Amino acid sequence: MLDPAVLAQILWTGIATSSYMVLFTIAFALVLKVLKLWNFAQAGMMAIAFYAMYVAVNQWGLPTAAAIAFGLAATLAATLAYEVLGLRTLRARRSSSLLFFIFTLVCSEFTAYALTLVFGTEPVPLFPEILSPTRIVAGVAVSDWDLLAVGVTILLGAALALYLRFSRDGQFLLAVSDSAELAELYGIDARRAYLVALAAASVFACAGMYLYGSRTAVIPTAPLQLMLFAVIATLLGGMGSVLGGALAAVFLSLLQSYSVLVIPSQWQGLILYVFLFVTILFFPTGVRRLWNTSTRS
Amino acid sequence: MEYVYSILILVGIYVILASSFNLIIGTAGLVSIAHPIFFALGAYTAGLLAIHFHLDPFLGAAAGALVAGAFSLMISLPSLRVSGDYLLITSIGFQLGLLQVIKNLELTGSQGGLNNIPTPVPGPERGWIFSAVSLAAAAATVLVIRWIVRGPYGRAIRAMRDDELAFVALGRNAMHIKIMIFAVGCAFAGVAGAIYAFYYQYVSPEQFEILASGTMLTMVVVGGMGSTWGPVVGAVLLLALPQAITFLRLPLAYMAPLQGMLFTLLVILFLFLRPQGLVAPEAPAPLRARRK
Repeated sequence: MLDPAVLAQILWTGIATSSYMVLFTIAFALVLKVLKLWNFAQAGMMAIAFYAMYVAVNQWGLPTAAAIAFGLAATLAATLAYEVLGLRTLRARRSSSLLFFIFTLVCSEFTAYALTLVFGTEPVPLFPEILSPTRIVAGVAVSDWDLLAVGVTILLGAALALYLRFSRDGQFLLAVSDSAELAELYGIDARRAYLVALAAASVFACAGMYLYGSRTAVIPTAPLQLMLFAVIATLLGGMGSVLGGALAAVFLSLLQSYSVLVIPSQWQGLILYVFLFVTILFFPTGVRRLWNTSTRS
Repeated sequence: MEYVYSILILVGIYVILASSFNLIIGTAGLVSIAHPIFFALGAYTAGLLAIHFHLDPFLGAAAGALVAGAFSLMISLPSLRVSGDYLLITSIGFQLGLLQVIKNLELTGSQGGLNNIPTPVPGPERGWIFSAVSLAAAAATVLVIRWIVRGPYGRAIRAMRDDELAFVALGRNAMHIKIMIFAVGCAFAGVAGAIYAFYYQYVSPEQFEILASGTMLTMVVVGGMGSTWGPVVGAVLLLALPQAITFLRLPLAYMAPLQGMLFTLLVILFLFLRPQGLVAPEAPAPLRARRK
């Protein structure tokens, strides 16, 4: 018989751990929604964010807030260059989706190689100490990191939702995501919307890497693996739905956490891929759309 | 001399991989990057059959091709019926998922990899015999692919790639072509894997990670996507490049990332400056006939 305290602990830890996955998924899903682009270069942005913060904290001795600001600035600069010099050129040439895909993937790989050259393959955490103070709440161990992770994720998620719902720029993003050509006919600058979406994704990627890196040691190729989780969650949540992707990320994280009870830990990673196949086989447009269809009928 | 032989063997292996990858991604326009896992399937199948059943190497290579081709159906059947994007995502998931399995199975040597694969050609003759076999297999692959691409089936493949809707409207079965091309391309990668396993007598899962996809992609993009000879030029050029870096005598820790950076930078430069690659795709045969 399973102890309820153990189940509650797994639930809480799973929710806390899902925080950075949710942030990565929101970043990925937002870019897919607005730019219609499978942005594999996000892994590169995530790696830049982490290593910029790492340098700021460990080599320059900057305080955490300044390190985050520096990490964000570096990520935004890289994203700007990526959009202006790369994606815009490909769009202007009306390149095929294959070329876009190759470009995003090689950008990501180039970043991973460049960071490996500079920082090596030794895993490094953001801070020397990765354990945070913990307290027991109703029989469940809750660490400061858990609270920070959940709080940041809720805060950023809510901010994005409000921005998309109530701000003029947010509405423009939604218009461009529906139809870029039509939006431009109404005077909306689609190029600006793309840039704003990528910048917002950078914020989420940076926040996610701060949370991930303050708890786990990172190597330059780690973001590629993390991003794959975001890809699967986006697919499962329904392409074009940022909220659906975020919920799917929580679900997948919890599933992985609870799988410890029934599956040896070395096989846990496989669950994601099994889900990927199940999703593509049975819910190719995502679970959310399936739900909507069944509700309507 | 052994060094030259090893380079020639690698050239043969990578020409097979790049040409077969080009058939899938360039000629048929199927966006998959899981080619290294089919290379791995061929290598592991041939290696395991040689270790446990002492199977003839040619039969081992055939089995490697068969297993890689059969496994390709696991990706193509579920994902091709939806759209190109799904194939891409499924291919990544399939590659990483299968690597996870290989890393955890005792049969495949787990994380440490599969070693002690018996060599079919022991002794001093080994180097040149393997070079000859590898280069012959590469030549055969290129010629078979050229034959497919230049024939009526090749025209159908290109028609499907360029306008699938019109192709289907004409009563042709696009799914059938996609599945066939995907299986054929993956089977060639399986043959390359078998040659690799028999020559190096060791296979490890790290060799087939997602970064290996980047290497193959580089060969195809730099050489010329959609052209028959482009991937051959790309494979030879990109195998020569690391040899040139070797002479810089940099520490080993710098070599691999530097090589990776050069590869990916080349792809980016070619994407923007010469998207057709070094060898542009040939004009379709019927068009040339009409010009005459």
